[in-house]
Amino acid sequence: MEKVLFTHVDQPEQHRIETYVKNGGYQALPKVLRDYKPDEVIDIVRKSGLRGRGGAGFSAGMKWSFVPRDTPKPKYLCCNADESEPGTCKDRVLMERDPHLVVEGIIIAAYAIQAHQAFIYVRGEFVYPAFRMEQAVAEAYAKGYLGRNILDSGYDLDLVVHTGGGAYICGEETALLSSLEGDRSLSRIRPPFPAVEGLYGCPTVVNNVETLANVPYIINRGPDWFRSHGTEKSPGTKIFSLSGNVKRPGNYEVDLGVPLSYVINDLGGGVPEGHTLKAIIPGGASTPLLLPHQIDTPLDFESMAQAGSMLGSGAIIVIDDGACMVWTAMKLIDFFQHESCGKCTPCREGTAWLKQLINRIEGGEGRPGDIDLILDVCGNIMGRTICPLGDAAVMPTESIIKLFRNEFEYHIDNKTCLVKTSYPLA
Amino acid sequence: MNSPHGSVHVTIDNRAVEIPLGSTILKAAEASGIYIPTLCAHKDLTPFGGCRICIVEVEGMRGFPTACTTPVEEGMIVRTQTAQIQSIRNEIFNLILSEHPASCLICDEKDQCKEYSVTVRKVGVTTGCRFCPNDGQCELQDVADKIGVTELNYPIYYRNLPVEKDDPFYDRDYNLCILCGRCVRICQEVRTANAIAFKQRGRHTVIGPAFKRTHLDAGCEFCGACVSVCPTGALSEKSRKWRGKEDRAVTTTCPLCGIGCQINVLVKQEEVMGVLPAEAPELNNGQLCVKGRFCIPEAVNTYKRMKRYQKLEDGVLVEITPDEAMALAAEKLATCTPDSFGLIISPDSTNEDFYVAQKFAREAIGSNQIDTTASSYYDGWFSEYLKLFSIGGTLEDLRRASVIVAVGLDTRYGRSVMGVELRQAMRRGALIVTIHPRRHNLSVIADVWLKPPWRGTPRLLNDLMTLINDPRHNVIVSDGADKLDKAAAILRGADSTVTLIGSEFTPDIDCDKIYAAVDELAKATHARILPLPAAGNLVGSIFMGAYRQLSPGGGPSDHMLDVHNMLHSTPSDDKTGGLYLIGVDPAPYRGTAEFIISQNSYPAENAQAADLVFPAAMFTEVDGTMYNQEKRLLNLHKCVDPPGDALPNWQIVSRLAARMGKAGFEYATVEDVQAEIPPIVKGAGDSLIKRNKIGVMTKKTLEEIRAKRARDGMPTFRISLDEHIFRGYPLSRWVGGMRIIQPVDTLYINPADAAQFGLADGEKAAVSVNGFERVWPVIIDDEQPSGEVRVAVNAAEWNMRYGLSITIRKHNG
Ligand SMILES: Cc1cc2nc3c(=O)[nH]c(=O)nc-3n(C[C@H](O)[C@H](O)[C@H](O)COP(=O)(O)O)c2cc1C
Ligand code: SF4
Ligand code: SF4
Ligand code: SF4
Ligand code: SF4
Ligand code: FES
Repeated sequence: MEKVLFTHVDQPEQHRIETYVKNGGYQALPKVLRDYKPDEVIDIVRKSGLRGRGGAGFSAGMKWSFVPRDTPKPKYLCCNADESEPGTCKDRVLMERDPHLVVEGIIIAAYAIQAHQAFIYVRGEFVYPAFRMEQAVAEAYAKGYLGRNILDSGYDLDLVVHTGGGAYICGEETALLSSLEGDRSLSRIRPPFPAVEGLYGCPTVVNNVETLANVPYIINRGPDWFRSHGTEKSPGTKIFSLSGNVKRPGNYEVDLGVPLSYVINDLGGGVPEGHTLKAIIPGGASTPLLLPHQIDTPLDFESMAQAGSMLGSGAIIVIDDGACMVWTAMKLIDFFQHESCGKCTPCREGTAWLKQLINRIEGGEGRPGDIDLILDVCGNIMGRTICPLGDAAVMPTESIIKLFRNEFEYHIDNKTCLVKTSYPLA
Repeated sequence: MNSPHGSVHVTIDNRAVEIPLGSTILKAAEASGIYIPTLCAHKDLTPFGGCRICIVEVEGMRGFPTACTTPVEEGMIVRTQTAQIQSIRNEIFNLILSEHPASCLICDEKDQCKEYSVTVRKVGVTTGCRFCPNDGQCELQDVADKIGVTELNYPIYYRNLPVEKDDPFYDRDYNLCILCGRCVRICQEVRTANAIAFKQRGRHTVIGPAFKRTHLDAGCEFCGACVSVCPTGALSEKSRKWRGKEDRAVTTTCPLCGIGCQINVLVKQEEVMGVLPAEAPELNNGQLCVKGRFCIPEAVNTYKRMKRYQKLEDGVLVEITPDEAMALAAEKLATCTPDSFGLIISPDSTNEDFYVAQKFAREAIGSNQIDTTASSYYDGWFSEYLKLFSIGGTLEDLRRASVIVAVGLDTRYGRSVMGVELRQAMRRGALIVTIHPRRHNLSVIADVWLKPPWRGTPRLLNDLMTLINDPRHNVIVSDGADKLDKAAAILRGADSTVTLIGSEFTPDIDCDKIYAAVDELAKATHARILPLPAAGNLVGSIFMGAYRQLSPGGGPSDHMLDVHNMLHSTPSDDKTGGLYLIGVDPAPYRGTAEFIISQNSYPAENAQAADLVFPAAMFTEVDGTMYNQEKRLLNLHKCVDPPGDALPNWQIVSRLAARMGKAGFEYATVEDVQAEIPPIVKGAGDSLIKRNKIGVMTKKTLEEIRAKRARDGMPTFRISLDEHIFRGYPLSRWVGGMRIIQPVDTLYINPADAAQFGLADGEKAAVSVNGFERVWPVIIDDEQPSGEVRVAVNAAEWNMRYGLSITIRKHNG
């Protein structure tokens, strides 16, 4: 299968601008500045059908087109490199191994929306990727791809690498903007959407690293080429971060629409010997679980939704029969509770109760009504919060309980796991 | 379709409403009288959407939008009361209560429990709400009642956070906090003090200053805005924590500075229990400073208040009847000649007090020797200061100004409502230039902060003036050249400038030059000037003629007797006969007069400071009027009765005059006094007198001081007066919290100067001025310009600043 974003990631010097250029980099940018008006760029990207890789799968071209054209306010582009969803580690590879691809994508996107200031908001813990991005940005400035009058086109753009506040919520686009403004990372109310009122109250586009990395290829090879990968509604390739109980975990780039089993079994080598597949979290920690019989579900936005889950950020976490689902649920809810920003009641209080209840069951102190109480609390959070983190906490939790209720009941009755977990508990 | 005026039509619970475009669903509901419960929403704050209690259903919209954040759209159909909405609201409220001790919010016997204590308490004290200082005034209780929560699904999770009591004025019990963020938003959005924020995440979220600082260190202004908007008992005023709800509230004017904020005085059991800001959009706009918000109850209720007439007998004060006192005073004053009498009145008195007092001096005694303590505060440059009023300016001007110049103004504690105005001006794009020798609370928001060195201010202002006139002019800059250029450019380009004047330069040796330069600068830039006097009714004292040089109406008085020497530096063999002090600390005057009558609400520190003591009412106990610095007429309304024999100042003076057999003082009510003022004082009845020329005083005293100083050499440092003086005494004397936030009697000194004197932080310095010595603890302050020290003293030490030979040395022990 043709690799696109990962074509050059294994080349040792790809992060240097010379290598990047030698390998065909910075060809899309001059083309854009020379041949296309901003709106034409938006059009091309819209025609390609590129959908956001940050989780929600929103059409990138469409998002760009929401930015008002006749506003006197400055516009901003923010590349979301906060990658903190458990299981997701794809943006990191792009930033470390092919940072100029990201930079070029950012410049083209910024040009399309006519922003003169762009930011890369890098997860606080990503010291090395941030270093690589900074290096790339400095090189791009030196070569005139950034700064005043880029490549004599008259277009100006400044790009700042900003390291994040160190919380999962910083990746939520409105919270990211608050954090970038120097404030505490709290999600904002929508509407207004960032495209209309974002950073400093000005129109702002937030796109994921992987989304933007696709842009130079789309420009170079055209929307039809892009659509030759993937499915009709989910065109292109996607990087999947495979982790959990598989033989060969790692980042794999495949066409959207390949079956889940292709990634897990063919690329990842399946679950370790002596174990059988128990469940799959297909799109990052915040997505509902799939069962073994769903392993042939195509990996695209629509099919995943149809199967009752989500493609999310493309982090596939494989769970085999050696894992206790109560423990799994506990690890997940501990994360979300820890990361709730605390702004809205249902998520702040709800995740705390979920954590308390699930920990109680795991600790052998569960009470008979607890399972229903957990589902009740889930219902109190779902759809009632400011940002999707609340839902993100509920979706895997609710799904685990519905699919593996027996393990929870067993735990409550017997104060121990139905499945003796065969992995070290951390 | 949208109407031309930008309003839209929406239907809420089957009721049609027309409402301006951009309003929220909540506003639309309020406009049509439909109740939607809210907790985090507040009318003065941007929508937050955190508590989620206000969720509604909107046809065609996914999920449950929050009414407080969702803007209306044409044709929107909203339902606020469906069964589903009610049940979701109930569940959300349940989640809120799951971290708020509230069992008795939902107890079905709560009414009986409260009224008659008939039932056995069913919940522990900590997890109930009867222990909450907000009981009976809590918005959570209201919402619980309105949405009818009767059962809790979750056990109560008590966070067990320690109650924070270390900062002055208000306590914080975050166990009661529901994280609605109102306090954070008001502090950031309205006050722009940014003292507090959300800390931590999720359920560990807690409100407070970042990095474990105290409120004091985080720049809190103790304005109490956060306390006012807190819907729960999490934030509570120390002074009235357990007093519950007030019986009534009286709107009156705060006389603690010249801004004249409108306040609502809360009264319970005929005692002032608290103060909240009145709306007064044209004035303080719902804001106050620490003095108005927190200091008043303590200041007016102090147990030391004077209640009885007293006379000095064998070195002690003994109580006498009002009649005896009047007789004694009349007898003594009968022996005074016009030249041997003096009357000094506090500049925070009411117009009626000033008017009757000056009339007493002029008509009952026939003397023109009248003064206020303001003239000694502003010293020989009083006339320079008053001149600034003649250019005049109003809050309206400030709100429209495109450039604001702040001269020696720090708005952290005093005049903090002006700080709010400034920061709002900054938000709307006004440019701010601040001139101040030290880092202060405006230096962070100002576009340019000009930082004159010790004695460098006049020069800096002159350089600025030169640069404004000629940008290419080469001045030997007195401050950073780029900063001065920038300031000059801002002022040159300004179309409407307002200059605000604070107190920093008032005790400056160059004060007159500074004020003259400010005046010139204002004229050159067509700026309005808004002096912000520390004294509550300075303008009234001028209008009412409470000075020897001014008769009522502001014109010069015919007798130009110089009483300055008599009042401040009379040699002891040339004593005044009788001194009548109203709202003035008698201590500094002891020895200057044969006989002192001290009429005040507060006692002197030393009982022997006066011969006769008259107990006066407080501003909360009188009706009357005042002028603020804009020359706006403001009303005082009586909130409670004065204690004991105390009476309003004007009334005591009138009685004394009557007792002396003088006619013309037969005032039964304050209205009788007011009726006499308008024909004499031009425009005294207008609510806002525009650009009134204020009479200018003689320069004689100023020149005298200058000459004396030139002769003897300049002092090496200056002493500044604690400006939070009320009725002759610093507020900190009665208000504990004030002592913490604005320590008086503490010497701030530059590190280099400290080294020179061998002083270390926390050590004590003995400062002696003309043989008058004081020992003060030392704080080494990088911000203090070298060459001067700063110490806020109270009136008794004020004449130390005349000192011409000053020594500082380390004090051991
Ligand atoms: C709690 C939370 C965390 C998120 N974290 C990330 C992240 O780390 N990186 C990312 O690209 N998007 C993240 N998102 C999604 C962003 O809000 C946003 O949808 C995305 O950056 C848009 O980019 P895209 O359209 O290119 O996908 C997060 C969303 C939520 C609710
Ligand atoms: S859902 Fe959670 S993370 Fe999102 S705003 Fe609410 S409390 Fe914060
Ligand atoms: S008292 Fe005023 S300044 Fe202090 S935290 Fe409250 S709102 Fe902010
Ligand atoms: S302290 Fe009061 S105002 Fe502040 S968040 Fe808590 S409940 Fe709200
Ligand atoms: S600013 Fe002045 S008038 Fe207003 S509350 Fe404070 S002291 Fe009173
Ligand atoms: S009042 Fe609307 S969410 Fe709190």
